[in-house]
Amino acid sequence: MRRIVPIVLLCALLPLHVATLRNAGREWKALPQGEETAYTIPGPVLKLTSLEFDGVAADFMFLRALVFYGSTFERTEKPRVKEWEWRRLYNDLAAATDLDPYFLDPYYFAQANLTWEGNLVRETNLLLEKGSQYRDWDWMLPFYTGFNHFYFLKENDQASVYLMEASRRPGATPLIASLATRLALKGKRTENAIFFLREMLRREEDEEVKKTYRIRLEALSGILALERAVELFREQFGYLPTSLDSLVEAGLISKIPIDPYGGKFFISYDGSIGTTSDLR
Amino acid sequence: MSLWPVAAVTFKEGIRNKAIYGISVFALLMLGASLLISGMIMQEVGKVMVDMALSTVSLSGLLLVLFVGINLMAKDLDKRTIYMVLSRPISRSQYLFGKFLGMVLLIVATIALVSLFALAAIALTKLRFPDYFLHFSWGLIFLSIALTTLSLILLSALSFLFASVTSTSFITLVLTIISYLIGHGINDVKALVEAPQAVGIQVAPSTVKLVQGAYYLFPNLSLFDIKIQAAHGLSVPLSTIGWTVAYGLGYTAMVMILASLIFSKREFP
Repeated sequence: MRRIVPIVLLCALLPLHVATLRNAGREWKALPQGEETAYTIPGPVLKLTSLEFDGVAADFMFLRALVFYGSTFERTEKPRVKEWEWRRLYNDLAAATDLDPYFLDPYYFAQANLTWEGNLVRETNLLLEKGSQYRDWDWMLPFYTGFNHFYFLKENDQASVYLMEASRRPGATPLIASLATRLALKGKRTENAIFFLREMLRREEDEEVKKTYRIRLEALSGILALERAVELFREQFGYLPTSLDSLVEAGLISKIPIDPYGGKFFISYDGSIGTTSDLR
Repeated sequence: MSLWPVAAVTFKEGIRNKAIYGISVFALLMLGASLLISGMIMQEVGKVMVDMALSTVSLSGLLLVLFVGINLMAKDLDKRTIYMVLSRPISRSQYLFGKFLGMVLLIVATIALVSLFALAAIALTKLRFPDYFLHFSWGLIFLSIALTTLSLILLSALSFLFASVTSTSFITLVLTIISYLIGHGINDVKALVEAPQAVGIQVAPSTVKLVQGAYYLFPNLSLFDIKIQAAHGLSVPLSTIGWTVAYGLGYTAMVMILASLIFSKREFP
């Protein structure tokens, strides 16, 4: 008999527990929330507080970035990732590489996403330079830095310095050295970009990243074909074509290539090729 | 030698402790999780796997020292069973060193067991993703485990020192945890106060002296941590290992001698 009272009490409290937790949880969710997920504890502090577990801490910081980035693919709004979120991703990756500067994946992830989509090219280069300092056997990191200088920042001199550095490291293909010298030649931007991308594609194993490289290669090949046709047109007629259709009419190309990013190619006033999609 | 009976009893007592099962279950769960996590990594699967495995070994050892090791000695004092031991023909320092020897055996046995799981987890992942283990060395992994074991023995020696000074096992536990935290931070803090311009802060000269003093007083446990090097297969010079092992053994010996001095003079209520 004496036992029944506490058991009954327990049974009565159990639904109460469920109800209170649910309500309190709902109320808590409705509270104004700061963007606290945007905050990353700075690397040096993490380094000190992670004691002897800095390697694992680096892994978790990287996974934090990876999981967050993956979660943005469920969104429908545009742009999919906001500016401050790219910063947050950058901070996570910077912290991960402060904890373990030898860890390749954060550099790799930054190169694959922060530059093309996030516009954080200078920041990515900072990361890559840190990695390049520690991973002094790895030619990929200075190669990427050189690519970013060339492709995004349009700083060919800087680019060739990094490519030279890359070409000196073990395992680097001899092509990199010749690319470094070719960058000195002005006006071959598209060709050089294709060259870079082919090399990156050849080294890539991740299917998703490969796909983005292939799409870009396709777009650049289209641009290159159009640029060459414009050049031929100028030589033949002595003036620049006013539209892409005149290239087809002159028989220089069979049809206007399709921009895989969904835009339309056009000729600027100076004869260079642009696209309405801006390649993104 | 009358050390062995005490050591054997200590070892058996430790093995029977239920906390050991808890630690083993924890280690298995961690390693199971690491198998899952390694699948999410793009490039350096091997690095992440070795990180997780070695950290599991370290953390299990730490839990052993903190929650099993401290009790082995402190319980005798807390529960006054030490009177029974000391009434036998055995000196106090023999008792202390015997206890410590038993604890060392327990640490080695537990680390060996957990390492076996950890190595199996690494080998399993290596079979699954052989292409992502480019810079990989079993030798460095074994070396890292050996140095971890040595640092745990050092920490355990410190807990014996604290147990011989303090009156309750709780204070011993707190002091040991504090020593562990300081031991892993002191290297970075010393580097920070000696080159404060790197992060743009001002440090008073007295602070530098204080930290440098603490550097020699507290154990520098960071020296025993070569997990990152092991994970990336970076070379660790033989001289580094030699000096670290010598430092660890020397520090442990000093701490234990100090502990036995204090323990012999100690008066029991």
